[in-house]
Amino acid sequence: MPGTSTPTGTRATRVLGVVTLAFSLWLIVFGLVVSAEDVVQGSTVRIMYVHVPSIWVAYVAFALTAVVSAVYLSGKNRSLAWDRVAGASAEIGVLFVAISLVTGSLWGRLTWGTYWVWDARLTSTAFLFITYIGYLAVRGLGGTFRQRARRSAVLALLAVLEIPLVHFSVVIWRSLHQESTVANSGTDVELDGLMLFTLFLGIVTFTMLFVWMVLHRQRSLALQDAVDSHGLDVAIEQRRQEAEAR
Amino acid sequence: MEHATFIIGSYVLTFGSIATYIAWFLRRSRAIDKFLDEKDKPWT
Amino acid sequence: MDLSPRSTSDVTPQGRSTRSRQKWLPMVIVAVAIVAGGVVVTRFLTSAIDYYCNVDEIGVRSGCDEGRRIRVQGVVVEGSLSKVSGATTFDLSFHNKTVSVRYEGDPGGVFQECIPVVAHGRLEEGLFASDRIEVKHSNEYVEKNDTRLQQSDKEAAACSVQEG
Repeated sequence: MPGTSTPTGTRATRVLGVVTLAFSLWLIVFGLVVSAEDVVQGSTVRIMYVHVPSIWVAYVAFALTAVVSAVYLSGKNRSLAWDRVAGASAEIGVLFVAISLVTGSLWGRLTWGTYWVWDARLTSTAFLFITYIGYLAVRGLGGTFRQRARRSAVLALLAVLEIPLVHFSVVIWRSLHQESTVANSGTDVELDGLMLFTLFLGIVTFTMLFVWMVLHRQRSLALQDAVDSHGLDVAIEQRRQEAEAR
Repeated sequence: MEHATFIIGSYVLTFGSIATYIAWFLRRSRAIDKFLDEKDKPWT
Repeated sequence: MDLSPRSTSDVTPQGRSTRSRQKWLPMVIVAVAIVAGGVVVTRFLTSAIDYYCNVDEIGVRSGCDEGRRIRVQGVVVEGSLSKVSGATTFDLSFHNKTVSVRYEGDPGGVFQECIPVVAHGRLEEGLFASDRIEVKHSNEYVEKNDTRLQQSDKEAAACSVQEG
């Protein structure tokens, strides 16, 4: 995984990669073994340590996509690098929403007694997932890099508006899903010591993982773009030579 | 552990899918890297 | 000079050919995403038709009428749970109002006394006949120190969590 001689790696990403890997192992040990069981849920609460950090990373990813898209559209800096960060971040966000939906569904089966309910939080998260699948597809529709950047940046700014809707859906509509345990405005955190620590460990680990992934993925998209534009250059060169030969 | 399949399964799914995704794009980067020069990689 | 587009087979680097091959795929995905989004919203709106009522709102709040299919939220009353010949009966209370619930089968999940649940069904002659029960876990997590707690202790723990 992290490290080794990848074309998208640097010294910084290698260091971050090693640290992230160590934190991931730490999280697995704490999540599955060290942390205590919940009085009501028992071991089932352990799913929280991957479920909550996953949706957290997805929020961060889509927010980053929106911010860099706004920077690109603002016109002060029209570097295509912004667009690639947006694309990389959204792609990773989609992966983490998917993880969150699946782990949440497993958790729901054990606590609520059902894999899925069409309730506000679950429905809006599913909608968020579909929206960003659409965003990624729109990125692949073709055209020039500038057209892609502009088109997807506008979409990213619209799509990010769904995040507050998802997050506050449990407050707006009556829902089966519990309200946020940590990320709420109140100061009374209702998690016991080691559980809270493990959850924060999860959030920190997943955030580092996200940073590492975005750095690599946006560079790999840069390589892809470079190949695409060289492909065009080669074609033009080929035809110029043909024309001269005639 | 009660419900070990679900709990361990959710960890395997989480880290497994992340690792698969990372492996996919790193492999793809390596594959196209041979068509490119150092100037295409300003971070190096 | 001829710069008109050509078939991609004479263009060597992989990037170009990959792009043209995939051109139809994003369009299909966009179309599928739009349809799926519509389906998700429709499912949400149709499933939200059943009014979501607290126990104390039955017969009080408009939409929470007797005989009508609703979703009722409340806490399973301590000592009221009984399972007889495959059916589960218990009292559900909220804000000092209580309703008796009968469910054919075992609700599953972490269903137990003192836990907040949502029961789907309709109230008929004072009894709420439910065909679906979902456990609404609160956002309180309490460490269990002894991993060998008996079921009765577990329920007592759930009651103490609910009472705060």
